[in-house]
Amino acid sequence: MECIITIELGTNGVRVFAYDLHGCIIGSMKGHYPTFHAEPDHSEQDPEQVFITTLYVLKNILNEYIHPKKYKVASICFCASMHSVLAVDKHGNPIGNAITWADNRAKKEAQELRNSQLGKKLYELTGTPIHPMSPLVKIAWIRNSDTERFRLTSKFLSIKSYVIHQLTGEYMIDYSIASATGLLNIHTVHWEEDALQYAGITANQLAVLAPVFTTAGKLKNAYQQSLRLSAETKIIIGSSDGCLATLGDGFIKGEEKASITIEDSGAVRVMGPNILKDEQMRFFNYLLTDNCYVSGGPTNNGGNIFEWFTRQFGEFTNPFDMENSMQQLMAEAANVPTGSDGLLFLPYLLGERAPIWNANARGAYFGLNIKHERSHFIRATIEGILYEIYSIGKMLSEQRTINSLSVNGSFGTIPFCSQLIADIFSKPVQVRQQFHSVSFGAYLLSATEMGIYTSLDDAAPLVETPNVFKPNKQHHVIYADYFCIFEKLSTKLFDEFEAIGNLQQKHVHSIKHL
Amino acid sequence: MNQFVLQHGKSAEMLLFPHILELGMKKNGSIQLNMFPTTIMEGLRIYHIIEGRFEWHINHQPYVFYPGDVALIMPDIPFGCDNDVLKIGSFTWIHLALPKQDGHIQPGKWSGLSDSEAAAIGKILSLNNLPALSRFSEVGRIIKCIYTELSEMEVAFQARVNHQIDELLIQITRKMTQQTHSTRDFPKTFIQLEVLLRQDLSHQWTVEEMAGLVGMGTTLFTEKVKSYSGFSPINYLINIRISEAIKLLKRADITVTNIALDTGFYSSQHFSTTFKKLTGYRPSEFRKNHLRNI
Repeated sequence: MECIITIELGTNGVRVFAYDLHGCIIGSMKGHYPTFHAEPDHSEQDPEQVFITTLYVLKNILNEYIHPKKYKVASICFCASMHSVLAVDKHGNPIGNAITWADNRAKKEAQELRNSQLGKKLYELTGTPIHPMSPLVKIAWIRNSDTERFRLTSKFLSIKSYVIHQLTGEYMIDYSIASATGLLNIHTVHWEEDALQYAGITANQLAVLAPVFTTAGKLKNAYQQSLRLSAETKIIIGSSDGCLATLGDGFIKGEEKASITIEDSGAVRVMGPNILKDEQMRFFNYLLTDNCYVSGGPTNNGGNIFEWFTRQFGEFTNPFDMENSMQQLMAEAANVPTGSDGLLFLPYLLGERAPIWNANARGAYFGLNIKHERSHFIRATIEGILYEIYSIGKMLSEQRTINSLSVNGSFGTIPFCSQLIADIFSKPVQVRQQFHSVSFGAYLLSATEMGIYTSLDDAAPLVETPNVFKPNKQHHVIYADYFCIFEKLSTKLFDEFEAIGNLQQKHVHSIKHL
Repeated sequence: MNQFVLQHGKSAEMLLFPHILELGMKKNGSIQLNMFPTTIMEGLRIYHIIEGRFEWHINHQPYVFYPGDVALIMPDIPFGCDNDVLKIGSFTWIHLALPKQDGHIQPGKWSGLSDSEAAAIGKILSLNNLPALSRFSEVGRIIKCIYTELSEMEVAFQARVNHQIDELLIQITRKMTQQTHSTRDFPKTFIQLEVLLRQDLSHQWTVEEMAGLVGMGTTLFTEKVKSYSGFSPINYLINIRISEAIKLLKRADITVTNIALDTGFYSSQHFSTTFKKLTGYRPSEFRKNHLRNI
């Protein structure tokens, strides 16, 4: 019997799934690796630890589920978070840690480029919003602020390219991850000369471009032996988490649907043969395969904001019991009327990307009156996170017809949240319980590569029938009223956001150096 | 309780307890000048506030102490009042001489703690380094009990006193880890632990020490680490050790034996076996392959 293994290199760790050829899960395992924040703007991961953890988890899943049942591993397909940058020297040795999407050090470069004509042009050509997350501006930051690292760098890789290089010796990058670097022309699918020039590098300093189905070399002998895998095991380069979450949600060509992911952070995405154009540069357009773009907007503030709230105000009857404490709060929130009796919450605790793209944005509760109680705050917090998701969806619907939604991610699939999404959007919401869209997308990709399906469009209907949450019209009317104010507040406070952001930086800084 | 000071070498009560340098209580009825100068001592100093409000400097940082609070001054750390003025109020204290092991203080031979528990306590006290512990009256009760035992010398008082000192160190260690780590944020606690482990990777960390460092029992700790990271604490530690070892193997200027010891393997054999099991390469092979690439 053959099986397919998927490896997802995520923000918090690695997830490995084993599927049989019908797409049923044989087993799954995860392994955590840390993100280091040496300073508030820094966000880094140790590339060797990412690699070793991946290897360790892969070995464990093979030994526990695959080898004892005599499965033959047909392929191993990779997917990863977008926007990571790892500099390596001419020997392939990492110079420092990998810089993750959440790193904010390139904010000055990003702001300058965003406000320039070149920035507008590069956004149109590359599809990646001009933001500190983008490898384009990260590399520019390294060039400006870490000149020694820049001088020694032979290649700028993504963390996935590094892990694959360890396993096979090839330097490759897939179209999806490449299209999120800000360096790839998504129309011609070549590295964009103007972007390279801005970053101060040449195409030779990047990995070789490859379609998502490409076999990225052969597993090295030592790994064949230690993992007990044959030389024929295909290492498929795969795609990005965002693209695969959308594919894994069962998108079919021409379907008027949007996919909502809410984990720690969140995104709303649509899929189609055309990119979304935007004067205000609010959307991303990433490439899955030829003529198939995944477009949408990301938010910084998803489930992590409710976790923050739970840490502050949850009961925690048992130490570190986040899950139960969150459930208790959700239960309390369910008893509060729709719209939290007019208490609004702006969830911008981590600044915000789409739709307002304002790093200075901050959180606020608004409309508080004497009758509001503790439980109103709980519900308002959840509603605020979901209004923000809606504001991205609303922006997308200016260019695409959206008739239904599918929701994935640990926060979005909590039934209470899924129902709220249906009510706020006034659209049916499909949710698959106990389902991991990103990994399933990677399975669909591998199975298509093997010829089990003729194309990704052919593979997508395989996704099982989900639960459907139907919108409640009366609730929608209430949410629509409150959302008008929410939307106004999100931009009206622009000057005050900047002022408070600056003060926070100033005073937090001075306290630190007391 | 009246004011008192018992000092090793001066007070007969202290003969049997060379590890207790000083035990005392002070009731300060009026503001006094030149009473509390900044000093440095080899011993561990513990102060418990009974009444009043004191502004003391520990390692040149100002801290304010209220009744019930405890000041903990590690060996060789300067401690005193900024302007030598002692405010009105009362407090008790104990100074302990603790031997050093691997650079960390540790309870001595008098202690009933096992070697590994004593090592864990020493390590946690040194690494957490929290000089102000709030709302901690237990310390006052223990110091009072030690004083009573020393004064009354009832049968088996020597054992009782030493038990109480163990108790004091255990309580302080637990309180310190509880105060530094919220029981609400496991990811934060875990990354703090990871940073500490990486700072001293050559140390033979035990699960007990790792759990103690973040103020958890080993049962809860093992369960939480497993569900959060996917690995047992020891296997997670091996991840870190091997990741660090790979970095060092890619440099030509350090021997494989030294890499093994620096990254916490107890022998190059142990390192080699673990490394090969995980990566398929022996460390020397890995290095050779890599240097050939160059």
